[in-house]
Amino acid sequence: MLNSIWAGLIIISIVFATGHDIHDELNNSYNNGHIYHLPYSSLKDTTTIRLHHHGYYFDAQIETGSEPDELLIPITEALPDSWHIIAQHQTSADTQQLRATLLSIDRHQQQLSFILPEVHWVKLHAIVNAAFDMAEFAVKLAIGLAGIMALWLGLMQIAEKSGLMLIFVKAIYPLLRWLFPDIPKDHPAMGSISLNMAANILGLGNAATPLGIKAMQQLQTLNQKKDQASDAMCMFLALNTSSVQLLPPVTLIALMGAGVSELILPIILATSTSTLVAVISARWLARRSR
Amino acid sequence: MQAFSVFVIPLLILVILLHGLYHKVAVYEVFVEGAKDGFATAVRIIPYLVAILFAIAMFRASGAMESLGQLISPFFALLGIPTEIFPMAIIRPMTGSGSVGILAELIHNFGSESLVVKIAATMFGSTETTLYVLAVYFGSVSINKTRYALQVGLLADATGFLAATFICISLFG
Repeated sequence: MLNSIWAGLIIISIVFATGHDIHDELNNSYNNGHIYHLPYSSLKDTTTIRLHHHGYYFDAQIETGSEPDELLIPITEALPDSWHIIAQHQTSADTQQLRATLLSIDRHQQQLSFILPEVHWVKLHAIVNAAFDMAEFAVKLAIGLAGIMALWLGLMQIAEKSGLMLIFVKAIYPLLRWLFPDIPKDHPAMGSISLNMAANILGLGNAATPLGIKAMQQLQTLNQKKDQASDAMCMFLALNTSSVQLLPPVTLIALMGAGVSELILPIILATSTSTLVAVISARWLARRSR
Repeated sequence: MQAFSVFVIPLLILVILLHGLYHKVAVYEVFVEGAKDGFATAVRIIPYLVAILFAIAMFRASGAMESLGQLISPFFALLGIPTEIFPMAIIRPMTGSGSVGILAELIHNFGSESLVVKIAATMFGSTETTLYVLAVYFGSVSINKTRYALQVGLLADATGFLAATFICISLFG
């Protein structure tokens, strides 16, 4: 299923992007080749000009010297959306201004004619850029995780050696035994699983992940087929993907501010429902696959 | 609430350290010994992360979601679910940062007191980024055959989504 979802995402995005771009080409959505004739009001100095377009104005620079002359339009909120997209996709790597080709200045009618750079295949460019950017970001994410991983793994090691983990596991063992019948009672995986669950419940996302990874590695030592997920792993993933949370995650608190407090009840209710469904279905699928 | 999260981690670290010292564990050496695995694990995850993240990034950039949203909105309307939360339902299982962005956008557009935002925030708080968790956890032990884990995760997301919607509608609607 992961295979088909993964391939599906990629194929759908390419098909949609192509369709979108063909639609844009047929309708000429970006007015490629369109000559704009805009009235101007003042030449502040010899190179700066104030242009008026659909009720707003902007100050553009005339750049002579290159052939043909160019009109530099600063990119601001005031510009129409399609112009922003054109600016992002223009061949010059300038992010501050849109480079248009200046055709003529009519000093009698106070009108300036110019043509914007042509833009084609916007969505296809966008998905390719997104793919490369994310591939790069994935490595940054993983490297960032390395430090936090090391921190928590180090602390876990202390807790294991000192026997603290054992005390913790004993406390919630009855629940864990029901969820993970395949794991022996004193196996270290039980400790990591319970700490991971505790971190999830308390909304400590960045502590939960390293602890969860540790648990997966310990579950792998019990796994019979090393390239395939065990039932215990699937149950563990069911708990983690459905997120047993009693306290809202820190990001949500930051976003919602004080308003988050009235959401605690709905969050607990919704997450309990989803966790219950996940645990029951994981149990059922495990039994069925035997 | 926030204060609680702030205190939990220092407290946890303190308890682990004191318990270790009390039981005469060589805390520094043991810490370093455990921490050694951190980097290797992070590197092992990279290919799995790249695979998942780049596919999701392409999907988001393609604009397919907007079109899917229009396609599915009649069904949402039929069930009495606000269609504005559709992007949240689709993106939440895929990316954490993406869903934060969507939530921020909804707050900006509708205000944090609106029903749509409450539903979206409840969904955000009650479900997880299933695909990311799957990639990271299975990646850390180099497992490719995930069996039924994804189905269970997506089922949990769908349940969380419906539960969040109906609980919020009955509480705040």
